[in-house]
Amino acid sequence: MPTVSTVNLTAPLLLLLLWATHPTMATNWLSLARLPRSRPVSGAAPCARLRGLTPGQVGVCRARGEVMESVRKAAETVIEECQHQFRNRRWNCSTTPRGINVFGRVMNQGTREAALLHALSSAAVAVAVTRACTRGELERCGCDRKVRGVSPEGFQWSGCSDNLSYGVAFSQTFVDEPERAKGLSAGRPLMNLHNNEAGRKAILHNMQVECKCHGVSGSCELRTCWKVMPPFRRVGFVLKERFDGATEVRLTRVGSRTALLPRDPQVKPPAARDLVYLAPSPDFCHLDPDNGIPGTAGRRCNGTSRLAPDGCELVCCGPGYRAGRAEVVQRCSCKFSWCCSVRCQQCKNTVTIHTCRV
Amino acid sequence: MSGAIIENMSTKKLVFLFFIIIVLQVLSIMVGALIAPSPTSAIRYLATKCIDRHRARGWLVPWGSNRCQQIHSFDEPLAQTLYANDIVFAVHVPLPNAEMSPWFQYMLAVLQFDIAFKVINHIEDDVLITIDAGLAYRDDLTSEWTTKVRSVEQRPLRCIFAVPKTYENEGRFYHCDPVPFMELGSVAHKYFLINLRLPVNDTVNVGIGEIKDIHVVGIHQNGGFTKVWVSMKTVFSPWILVATVWYWHRISLTARPPVLLEKAILALGVSMTLLNVPAEWLSLGFEWTWMLLLEDAQQGAFYSTLFCFWVIFSGEHLMDQSQRNRLSAYWWQVGLVMFGSSLLLVFDLSDRGVHLTNPFYSVWASDIGMKLAITFIIMAGVSVCLYFLSLCGMVRCVFRNIGGKMQQLPAMPKARRLRYKGIIFRFKFLMLVTLACAAMTVVFFMLNQVSAGHWHWGDYTFQVHSAFLTGIYGMWNLYVFTIIFLYAPSHKHGRKKSGNSQQTEVLETAESQESQQTCGEQGPTETYRITGKVADE
Repeated sequence: MPTVSTVNLTAPLLLLLLWATHPTMATNWLSLARLPRSRPVSGAAPCARLRGLTPGQVGVCRARGEVMESVRKAAETVIEECQHQFRNRRWNCSTTPRGINVFGRVMNQGTREAALLHALSSAAVAVAVTRACTRGELERCGCDRKVRGVSPEGFQWSGCSDNLSYGVAFSQTFVDEPERAKGLSAGRPLMNLHNNEAGRKAILHNMQVECKCHGVSGSCELRTCWKVMPPFRRVGFVLKERFDGATEVRLTRVGSRTALLPRDPQVKPPAARDLVYLAPSPDFCHLDPDNGIPGTAGRRCNGTSRLAPDGCELVCCGPGYRAGRAEVVQRCSCKFSWCCSVRCQQCKNTVTIHTCRV
Repeated sequence: MSGAIIENMSTKKLVFLFFIIIVLQVLSIMVGALIAPSPTSAIRYLATKCIDRHRARGWLVPWGSNRCQQIHSFDEPLAQTLYANDIVFAVHVPLPNAEMSPWFQYMLAVLQFDIAFKVINHIEDDVLITIDAGLAYRDDLTSEWTTKVRSVEQRPLRCIFAVPKTYENEGRFYHCDPVPFMELGSVAHKYFLINLRLPVNDTVNVGIGEIKDIHVVGIHQNGGFTKVWVSMKTVFSPWILVATVWYWHRISLTARPPVLLEKAILALGVSMTLLNVPAEWLSLGFEWTWMLLLEDAQQGAFYSTLFCFWVIFSGEHLMDQSQRNRLSAYWWQVGLVMFGSSLLLVFDLSDRGVHLTNPFYSVWASDIGMKLAITFIIMAGVSVCLYFLSLCGMVRCVFRNIGGKMQQLPAMPKARRLRYKGIIFRFKFLMLVTLACAAMTVVFFMLNQVSAGHWHWGDYTFQVHSAFLTGIYGMWNLYVFTIIFLYAPSHKHGRKKSGNSQQTEVLETAESQESQQTCGEQGPTETYRITGKVADE
């Protein structure tokens, strides 16, 4: 028969456990990328069964089910882009083998890496929803908010507003929802909200404008301009630069509110487009499989670049690295067209590769 | 010409007329800024990559009830089992829940390619991309698609890569210039479908890089802007027509044949009437693809007539002793204007004329076409510059003559002084008004090019582009109306000067002896003979 004392202990322990895992719930929707393609993500019943969504996000899933397919695509894009941008660094966006926390321990604490992943995920949702709108896959998009009148007349009077605003608004609704539910007085939600907005700003500040003149005889009497969204690779590159320049902050009380201000008082306060983090990053050197850190043993590194971030000095930790020769089979003499299947031959090459020691 | 109305109008009436004109001008600007939306809108569509393994020539629809089998990205494993010739890029032009309308007047399409850089599959220099394009339409959501046109086109591909071309930067996109794709002269149906193929064989579409996506930007005139524009034309056109008819009636009332200047003003009124004809009302009911060409021709005719009028007006006021009043006296300036405008007409016919049958044609696609087009445009530009130089020279002459005559004015008898004063005032007034209109046009054009398109001020949004278009249109209408009204022959002049007939005859002969050889040749101008004759009556 359990004594009263054990019952009294387990309850707070459970609460502590829940609180400890609570901060990671914000980006658990990224686990949608692990679902098989065939499994539906829209509709009332499937929405409730999706692990990784907070209750508020399940509500959004039910209300705007057709957009969830874009959210799944956004999750896949986040993992792919992060692993591309950081392929040559000590932390290479490695994912956990299973579970709803895709990126492991770095997401639990407010580290630089968590900041980057939050920014990247909110940007990815905005981009994916905008692309779905421009492909005509979504029924309600930019044409929903009109200057005059409801959709058909509004469209015929003055055209459609930008699909990007719909994408950004959906990203704010979906990705920011867990943070707002926790309230804006704690450090981690504030940091997450700031970084989500930084991700969206990375898109908005890198838009390009293209124009076409089509007046009398092609003159510029009538000129039409439109904005072009940057490719997601560019957004990833911009966010990687912000990652390198992220500011460490802490929660301070300013008057009656709380705000995130730099830990070092000599650093200027971060702008809306900068990334902020609360805790220092862990050492990525040692293997920690349960937390999703594979360690640097066996990583390939670039032996020729001495001080670049992908050089062996910086990627490998203490024991250093060793060089070896290996025979690789590469594709050569390929016959390319602008897409799809490529006919290549196989060539054998001997290359020198550097790997980190254990 | 026998005293125009402007010479006999009191300053008070002139100021009152001016005030009304300014009010109407501000009204036409405000209509454009506040009521009309932006003149055009651009909608970006991302083409869906349909799979067509059987190479059937049917129409593939990207979304909706019978959507095609699609591939979302060429990075998927499915792409490795396809050939490039199996892919069809499909775009359905109005997005879901929207319809195209005849009020859109025209539809242009521009292609933007997303091409990723790969070291072993990069874009070659001076490459041409071959596009097998097709356009279909239907008027409701259930019927079959009707083919409108199919054509194989070539376009030059101009792309730059901003960062170094190394393995590090593989996967980043080139920045490519938008490729002009289609120009449809009228939007007569509700739904359009574009199917694009990029056929590949040993020589075609080789070296165009790795295409990830194609974006189609559809540009059309906003329905609201068309409605406002057509209403403006409908309001202005009866006024100008009535004014022109009234002017012709006034001329026919005078006993003499019309002078060259009066004929020029009549031509100006007629060309403005033709520009104002609101043919857009009829184009809503019929599929007239030549409306764009017609509008270009109307504007070209008006500008040519305006330029000829300026030259003739300046020449006729060159108060020197030359024999004018014939069109052949201005042969080379009028010839320049006609030459320039016929060059632009030929260029327009070669570009927009072919669009009547093949909306996918572009004169800039082939090398020869591009060189010819540039040659034509440069020659037209050169002839316009020469025209303006000669106009400036002539105006300078007139001012010098005016300066000379003004010095002699105090020494002249009253009748002659009044006559010369009238002529000088008439000329200066037109110069001032013309310069003001031309300066405003140029300034607003520059403002239009650099401004963002709409300004916000409190609760109001001002549409700058629309305001520019409606404001300039209203301004030239009011300009022509003012000229027709103020330079019509006056009936007051004939009744006043009957007593001075003998004096004027003496003055005429004296005039021919004192010839001021500033800019012209011998002989009194017809204008002066006419003035003398009327003074006789």
